[in-house]
Amino acid sequence: MKKNICLSFVLIFSLFLSACSLEEDVADLYKKENPFEAEIVIPESFSNNKQETIKVVLTQDGKRVESADFVHFEIWKQDGSLNYNMEQAEEVGNGMYSLSKEFDSDGLYYIKVHARNNSSLIMPQKQFIVGEFSKSELESLQEGLQKNEGNHEHHH
Amino acid sequence: MGSALLIQLTSQSSRKKNISNIKNFILSSQLICILDKETNIKIKETCYMETARNNTSIQNKKQTDASLYRTVWRWHFYAGIIFAPFLIILAVTGSIYLFKPQIEQVLYQEYYEVNPQGDKIPASRQIEEVKRLYPDAVVTKYRPGENATRSSEVSITSNNESLTVFIDPYTGKSIGELNNEDRIMDKIEEVHGELMAGTLGDRIVELVACWAVVLIVTGLFLWYPKKKQNLFGVLIPRLNKGKKILRRDLHAVPAFWITAGMLFLIMTGLPWSGFWGSNFQSLATNSGAGYPPSIWSGSAPTSTIKTKDIANVPWAAENLDVPKSEIQGFIPLSIDDVVAIANHEGLHPSYTITIPNEKEGVYTLSAFPPKAQDEVTMHIDQYSGAILADYRYDNYGLIGKIVAWGITLHKGTQFGLVNQLISLLICLGIILVAVSGFYLWLKRKPKKEMGAPKAPGIKKMKLFLIILIGLGILFPLVGLSLIVVWLIDWLIIQRISIVKKFMNA
Repeated sequence: MKKNICLSFVLIFSLFLSACSLEEDVADLYKKENPFEAEIVIPESFSNNKQETIKVVLTQDGKRVESADFVHFEIWKQDGSLNYNMEQAEEVGNGMYSLSKEFDSDGLYYIKVHARNNSSLIMPQKQFIVGEFSKSELESLQEGLQKNEGNHEHHH
Repeated sequence: MGSALLIQLTSQSSRKKNISNIKNFILSSQLICILDKETNIKIKETCYMETARNNTSIQNKKQTDASLYRTVWRWHFYAGIIFAPFLIILAVTGSIYLFKPQIEQVLYQEYYEVNPQGDKIPASRQIEEVKRLYPDAVVTKYRPGENATRSSEVSITSNNESLTVFIDPYTGKSIGELNNEDRIMDKIEEVHGELMAGTLGDRIVELVACWAVVLIVTGLFLWYPKKKQNLFGVLIPRLNKGKKILRRDLHAVPAFWITAGMLFLIMTGLPWSGFWGSNFQSLATNSGAGYPPSIWSGSAPTSTIKTKDIANVPWAAENLDVPKSEIQGFIPLSIDDVVAIANHEGLHPSYTITIPNEKEGVYTLSAFPPKAQDEVTMHIDQYSGAILADYRYDNYGLIGKIVAWGITLHKGTQFGLVNQLISLLICLGIILVAVSGFYLWLKRKPKKEMGAPKAPGIKKMKLFLIILIGLGILFPLVGLSLIVVWLIDWLIIQRISIVKKFMNA
């Protein structure tokens, strides 16, 4: 009898231990978000005295987002010498939005896209290099000083 | 004394200590201890050798009742002696912890209160100030402060210590720091939750809580009045029936009164525990009826941005040979954007932002304010600001909602002061019952014995055995401790006669 009790306890314990981990797709049982995603496409190369087009592709729930509430681009140079304020991007179609700007001076740049679709708001930020970038810019990166020096306008 | 057998006297005359009125005799080669059925107080202890043998079915039933009573009593007795000290510790620390909000408000007033003047400065600048003051620290959390007069808090890890730096959001200057180790309320919580003994302590507390359920069940059985329509000794203590009765009533009567509250505190505390609680939470979450993942168990979602698209900061590079593609990519959102999202999404103002320190990590915004309905846990992609998960109270499953309410009620925050006072009363009741039970034992205890009621073999108590095994399955730690008890009994108590005699086994 004692043996049987012990045995059944061992069985129950192993049951409990196996139950203790969460199932992988358990989040599906609860409220789910459809994250709004943006892919920011930076040109491969930049040339002087010519406008370059930066594109963003918006997706939500696996579908391209047509006619988003707004898509604003904000571009600035790390050293503060250039600052393109928040500007509405042009809808190209198929969830793609673009803005053309001149990038005449070499260096480290930032772009921040503000986009809203229905109630979802995103503001991804990307850093990119035009031409060559300087040692001081590398150093500032290493110091972790990527401060947002752009305008802080918010669309709320 | 030898093993004392109890006879439950059914006769009214039992209290008169009139031996001739005793209708029931149990055969025994040793001593017979006669107890008042109502009070369980020894009224006569004497040596009866074989007197009578009555084999009617009624008598058999009475004997079974009596031995069941003894068995239950014996379990209540040992469980009480072992766990009463722990219950007192839990009740005392719990009583203090209930008033954490008020106590901390007084203790840390100078850190908490600020004078509003103009606009608050951005979170990023407050955090910069902390980084300037603690250059080697890792910033882990930011708490904006729930109202205009509350300082903001920046949590950091520095030299393996967790510190909270309080910042005046109007001046951006540090008000002071608190080492989490030094917080008295954290210490009390540590005693309450794990007796300051880590995982082992957590398991002990859980065991105490589970055994307290056993104490409640067995205690109710012992308390349950055999005669009807007498409130004295059941709902009201008998004050003028002598010391022995008073002692018994001061244990059993208040114990009954706090039973529901005590059971409530145990059941609402258990989901916190490390073993039963974690498993319970996982089972509930897996079933879809519990908390959504990442609130209690399970990890937060990860960023939707692919690792290769994230900008790398070339820490080691000293020249410009770093490939462009490494540097180009997404960079984390400023904390100011996260604060803006929080304001936009209408979080409870007491929220805290957990700052990711991993590439795949997310910003986690969470608030566990006094009322369960205001709870929120939100995960935000650290590169895009996209909301990856937004769990409010309404998104919890039914079990999750019940547990959430249980927690705020247990902590005494749900209904404010009334809640705290009721919980305090229950805690004081638990202390009274534990102390009076212990005192009851000391007073009744024979000098050279434990004074435990003698019980027949457990195998004869089928129902009781089933209930015990059931509790052992429901609370595996109880089951585990039962196995240990049986092993000790089998290997030590039953084999060493002195121990056996002492334990009255």
